[in-house]
Amino acid sequence: MMPPAPDLHPYLEELERFSDGQMTVAEQEDFERRLEQDAALNHAYQTYQQLTADLRWVAGHETLRMRLEAIDRRLDQRHRALQRMEQQERRKQVRWGLVATIAAGVLVVVWLVLRPSSSQATDWTNYYVPDAGLPQTALGSNRPLLVEAMQYYREGHYPQALNSLQRVPNSALGQDTLLYYSGIFLLSQQDAERHEEAQALLRRVAQQPNSGLAAKARYHLGMAYWRTQQPELARTTLETVAAEATNPYQQAARRILQTDALTN
Amino acid sequence: MNTPQQLAEVLTSLRVGNQSFLMKFYEENRDLFARWVRRQHTLELAQAHELLRAVLVDFYDQVSDGRLTKLPPDLRAFVYGMADERLRAGQAAMVLPVAEAGRRQHLLGLFRQLSADCQKVLVYFYFRGYNFEKVAGKMGFANANVARMQKAGCVRSLYELRRRAEAAG
Repeated sequence: MMPPAPDLHPYLEELERFSDGQMTVAEQEDFERRLEQDAALNHAYQTYQQLTADLRWVAGHETLRMRLEAIDRRLDQRHRALQRMEQQERRKQVRWGLVATIAAGVLVVVWLVLRPSSSQATDWTNYYVPDAGLPQTALGSNRPLLVEAMQYYREGHYPQALNSLQRVPNSALGQDTLLYYSGIFLLSQQDAERHEEAQALLRRVAQQPNSGLAAKARYHLGMAYWRTQQPELARTTLETVAAEATNPYQQAARRILQTDALTN
Repeated sequence: MNTPQQLAEVLTSLRVGNQSFLMKFYEENRDLFARWVRRQHTLELAQAHELLRAVLVDFYDQVSDGRLTKLPPDLRAFVYGMADERLRAGQAAMVLPVAEAGRRQHLLGLFRQLSADCQKVLVYFYFRGYNFEKVAGKMGFANANVARMQKAGCVRSLYELRRRAEAAG
């Protein structure tokens, strides 16, 4: 059975000096000799050794506990920092999303504002019945430039078609035919200035009562008015066409007048 | 995967007070462990972290007092098993002789009653193995002699607390 723990108070200073290596060699030898002879000192020494061993255990235990807690705090801080960064990133994405949405909205509004003119162009394209051009059989083989002009026209190369047509000798082509197809080729192009020029040429043909192309020219003139945004003139001209039973474009003109396309 | 030699080195290293292995383990496994323990038991995140810390300290105690003489080949499974056992038992399993375990736990409680400075001085001297000169440098004392006197005072305070507790108990 272990004897009760002795009171260390009388021995503490000496025990500490010995254990901590603070004694001189002589003191140390003397202390070791007394340890062998003095049972009470020996018992106190054993108790002190146990206390410091337990203290070492406690110190290690507490150190690890505090170190792990410090790691825990650091990891939590890092986790919170990452969360904050993610939130900031999300907020940034939302902001950019909002900006993109607003930009898209503005673009839609701009498109809606500009839409009437493009809609008008679309309508014009939908309603316009282009001239088929002179048939191959009517061209013969002695008017190669006229053949070339018609070929360019059918292929959609309108400036080239006009260039070839203008080089056809006057003797090979009637004046009204030249004006009419020049007007057609100009009207078929995308340039607004060409449309104005087309109007002038087609008007001259339309006003020639003896020309076989006058009726057709009136239809294209009406369409040229429409294309240059002169709806009233376009309506009047197309009403004339719609009233002409022999005009090949009568139905086309009627179809336009039956809708509200010209009022847009 | 750690080789048996590496595991043996870890054990030796822990015994001499190098705790970096367990700190690294905690850092690397904290979130994984928390997910596992939350699946198995209804524990809050902070409680799961606290449980892992307690288990690792317990593991360290077992190594340092000689209860654990061989590091398990799958340390993670071993630690998870300790945590599971702790949760089922409601406390740590005490394999140490009751008297010894009780004495150390009792001293741990008394140690926590000391001032923060005293705790630091005793940790520096008894666990880190700093000499008095280094303790003085760490604590901002004038010299090694002051550090020695401070350490002696802290040991006395601890001893006094124990004497008083024994007299009361």
